[in-house]
Amino acid sequence: MTETKLPPVVRGEIQPWTDADPAGGPVLAAFLADLLPASVGRVLLAGPHDTGVLDVLAGRSADVTVLRRSVSDAEDLRASGHTVVAGALDGLAGQRPGPYDVVVAADGLDRLLGTDSPALDWPERAGLLRGLAAPGALVVIGVENGFSITALLDRRPVKERHGDDEWRPLRDDPRRPSSPAQIEDVLGTAGRRYALFGSAGRVHTLVESDALARTAPGLPGAGIALAGLAAVAGGTPLLAPVTGAAEAAARAGMLDAVAPGWLVVLGDGGPVHTAYTPSGVADLTADGWRFGDRLVPDTESAETELFRLAAAEDVPGFRACAARLRDGAFFDRVHDGVALPGPEIPLAAAWIRFRDRLVGGHRRHPWPPWMADGDDLVTMWLAMSGVEATPEMLARGREIAGTESRPDLLSVLADAEAARVTAKEQAGHIFGLERTMRFRDQQLRTREQQLRTMRDEMRRLRGGRAVRAAQLAGRVARLRDPKRLAGALKRRARAFLRR
Amino acid sequence: MHHHNHYYGQTHILARWCGLDDEHPPRIRGYLQHGWNVGCGWNPVHEFFDGAWRYTWSDAPRRRGHSLGRRNYHVVGAPFLYLAELEPTLGAVPEDERRGTLWFLFHGWEGGGRGGKIEGDHARLISEIKETETEPVTISLYYTEFERREVRRAYEKAGFDVICFGKRGWNYEGTDRRFLYKQLETFRRFRRVAANRLSTAVFFGVAAGCEPAVYGDPMSLEGDDPLFGGQARIARLWPEMLGKEIDLAAARATTDVELGRRHLMPPEEMRMLFDWNHRD
Repeated sequence: MTETKLPPVVRGEIQPWTDADPAGGPVLAAFLADLLPASVGRVLLAGPHDTGVLDVLAGRSADVTVLRRSVSDAEDLRASGHTVVAGALDGLAGQRPGPYDVVVAADGLDRLLGTDSPALDWPERAGLLRGLAAPGALVVIGVENGFSITALLDRRPVKERHGDDEWRPLRDDPRRPSSPAQIEDVLGTAGRRYALFGSAGRVHTLVESDALARTAPGLPGAGIALAGLAAVAGGTPLLAPVTGAAEAAARAGMLDAVAPGWLVVLGDGGPVHTAYTPSGVADLTADGWRFGDRLVPDTESAETELFRLAAAEDVPGFRACAARLRDGAFFDRVHDGVALPGPEIPLAAAWIRFRDRLVGGHRRHPWPPWMADGDDLVTMWLAMSGVEATPEMLARGREIAGTESRPDLLSVLADAEAARVTAKEQAGHIFGLERTMRFRDQQLRTREQQLRTMRDEMRRLRGGRAVRAAQLAGRVARLRDPKRLAGALKRRARAFLRR
Repeated sequence: MHHHNHYYGQTHILARWCGLDDEHPPRIRGYLQHGWNVGCGWNPVHEFFDGAWRYTWSDAPRRRGHSLGRRNYHVVGAPFLYLAELEPTLGAVPEDERRGTLWFLFHGWEGGGRGGKIEGDHARLISEIKETETEPVTISLYYTEFERREVRRAYEKAGFDVICFGKRGWNYEGTDRRFLYKQLETFRRFRRVAANRLSTAVFFGVAAGCEPAVYGDPMSLEGDDPLFGGQARIARLWPEMLGKEIDLAAARATTDVELGRRHLMPPEEMRMLFDWNHRD
């Protein structure tokens, strides 16, 4: 139980205020559930975290203290039955609350101070937090990475990225760690580190940093990270798609260094998995990546090979590669592990996702633009894989594939350029059509002239002596035939009498 | 821009600092903080027009305002500090001749039909002042209390001198532009400054060389907005400023922060900041 009875409000509380998007989500909860021992003593949850995180901690300890700087956030949590303190980290430290066995600040150290707190830099905040922990305690700290791909590609001006909680420019802090090495400088080398991919507080993916540093483009580890980056990109307006930069980073062995953030674990905890994703956990073993029951070799994905063949405009090679995908061995192994009925629909979804990445990523390929706009590419690729596409299959595949990140500036610029090229090509097309019409006009005029000439010739022929002689000969021939003459007279007499 | 800027003749002091007419000072393009404040520099329901700049005494209101979604702050320091620089000898007496306590009763305000009267036990406060102060006490009442005969009489009957520094003005009318001059002059002959709430006057007194004290019934103000945590928050944030005997060095350090001493700026800079240079 708490050694020091803490007041409900300590120095540095802020109101009116609420911390939006608390850290949490099932992925973080699952990670903490594995990390925390079955039973622990005193626990401090510092900063905004969702109830899922609090539930995990409460399941392991009967003595949980929650620190929230917002008075109203703290009030909302009081019903939980835990010790809830409103105030700043410096205010709590001033109360000397006694050592905690577990300290969790997965949200990081940026939302622990109030407007009236001293301007503590990042290491000072870390020191203050660790000062509340008992020797050897388990401490979990979230660290934002200012050098992440998503931060570098953020299209907003710096002054508009962080909003109302940057009453002090926290990111200008020269002692703020922005690399794995700097984290070790501040927190020591004893900790474990996990690359954290999340958006609006919700942790989407966690990957053990060492595994990520060793991966390469197209390998499952990079695929997991790319899926996490896509989730972050969904919540951040970007200058360019993250994919190109992420692949370059993976190629350089720097994917961990450019992750959006990290979770640093100090002290001993339970065994955890290599990666935590929305679809489950994954472990990197000697045989490859184990996604539940599935074992995926730690080799380059078919998707990467297909991108390469498309860029090389090697359609026969592409066709041969596509043909190997018909038996359910799909090429995006991170996404395609989801169990779905039959091989066709997952394959359709996988091809649709591939189309989105190929076309949406402005990658080089040999197919004309009118094939990319509709479902022609997917239909063709499915046929290469031995599957005849149906509208239902494509519609279901589209649902499963979902939509990838929102438009970025690079895409907008590329689209504008593509529109310019399209306009130029359409103008060329119109020019070609007009040329055709001119030839057709020429052809029509030629034929008309020919007809007129023939008509004139006919007229001249009709007025000639030979024609008149032939007409006279015809009349004479009729007179010389008595039957024909009698018939003619009869017809004329009848006509005369009728009148 | 806003008539609050003229309260206590603050704009007038800054105009004088800038070498401009301090009887009819130029307008400030924005809002000038007019009193020490535990919030964003102004009361919670203060009007702000879009694009307005906010000129605060110190950095803390800027930070709190930022948290409220407000931008366009510039910290200029308290006009009272500029006045002290402009009038280094006004009312000054040798240190060992400073005597007595200038005691400020927490004051109400003009109210504008929304309350603004203070309520509390004056008799009990008088007893506490008498128990505490060892030298002659002068009670400073703001005119809102000074003109309430029952309040003024209570302190006069207790044997205190009762003074009033005048009116801060309202809608540019009745502004006593010498208000802060009179306060500075008076502070410089007193040894102590005291109040029943930590307030602007206490900080001004410390800035003018007085030893501070904050004690007694803080009283309540009609329509007071407790949104920012009230007296409990003040006790958490400025405990060094509360009590009958206060560490003077700590009080002076806090006063310098709250009045923004390090933010004082040269006249040339202020003229540009307030757009007070002629543009012909």
